[in-house]
Amino acid sequence: MEQKQRVLVIIPAYNESENIVHVVRHMMEEAPQYDYLVINDGSTDDTPDLCRRENFHYLDLSINMGIGGAVQAGYVYARKYDYDIAVQMDGDGQHDIAYLEKLLEPIVNREADVVIGSRFLEKEGFQSTFGRRMGINILSGLIWLVTGRHIMDVTSGYRAVNKMFIKIYSEDYPMDYPEPEAIVAAIMHLGRVKEVPVQMRAREGGISSITFKKSIYYMIKVTLAILICRMGYGIRRGKREDI
Amino acid sequence: MIPATLRVTLIVAVICYFVIILYFLKQKALNLKYTLLWLVAGLVMGTLVVVPELLVKIIHIFGIQENMNGLFIFAIGFMLMILLSLTSIASRQNRKIRTLTQELAILDKRVRELEKRETGL
Repeated sequence: MEQKQRVLVIIPAYNESENIVHVVRHMMEEAPQYDYLVINDGSTDDTPDLCRRENFHYLDLSINMGIGGAVQAGYVYARKYDYDIAVQMDGDGQHDIAYLEKLLEPIVNREADVVIGSRFLEKEGFQSTFGRRMGINILSGLIWLVTGRHIMDVTSGYRAVNKMFIKIYSEDYPMDYPEPEAIVAAIMHLGRVKEVPVQMRAREGGISSITFKKSIYYMIKVTLAILICRMGYGIRRGKREDI
Repeated sequence: MIPATLRVTLIVAVICYFVIILYFLKQKALNLKYTLLWLVAGLVMGTLVVVPELLVKIIHIFGIQENMNGLFIFAIGFMLMILLSLTSIASRQNRKIRTLTQELAILDKRVRELEKRETGL
């Protein structure tokens, strides 16, 4: 292996006072060799107080910007401090730190630029509800339609990206519900996107950001976002110069 | 044709419109950049009040029969344009605020670290 790569684990947290301490402590125990950064996305509960009291590494966004803006802040930070790999991991305890190495492996071996932790490759662990799986399949199909690439778990927020995509995402990262759109952006930047199987847990506490009521809006918004994102790149049949 | 009293009323209205815009500009409550469109709108309105025959001609070019309908169509179209430009301005500002918030948070972290180091010494 080459020289050691610096890894930053970005943990966005919005009103996660129930989970954040546990998530970060667990990460510090299981993967102390990696840096982490909690992004407090303008929480209204005591998430920032907990971060301060526990002496965590954290960014304190003064206004709530949504997951996209929060994650992007992490990428901006990673770029500023010259990290080689950035990992996104939710602050609600859904994502298991045990899979971090699996997520990093393809990037360290230079086999991929963007690695997505996928629930559906081996169909183990928490598989989400039937309705959500259907929605995810529709979006997955749409992404296949516009990019020609099969990505199963397009809404997974458990991802790792290399230096090239730290730069790309720090400059432009989708807002609102960014996960599927970010995949399209990655493919259109000719990134090698790879899925690795992970298991996810149901949330340990708090409530998910996507309620059933919002899911219709979610589907419409994300479908539109994917199409617009794809349109923004026009016809692209190029080869990357660096590989 | 437009009755004389109505014309006077309209001319006064257009003058008021310009006075308000200039007042806002003087108070720096409006950026000149964003005011240009409003000023152009005022000029168009002024011209049409002074020379109403122009409006009739333009409307007929577009195949609209009723003068008033034509006026409303133009007015609505113009307002849509302005609203669109406002949305675009809001989006651009949103982006700038996002960048500022992110940079501020990163600086905030740096300050916290420096303070900690200082008190630690």
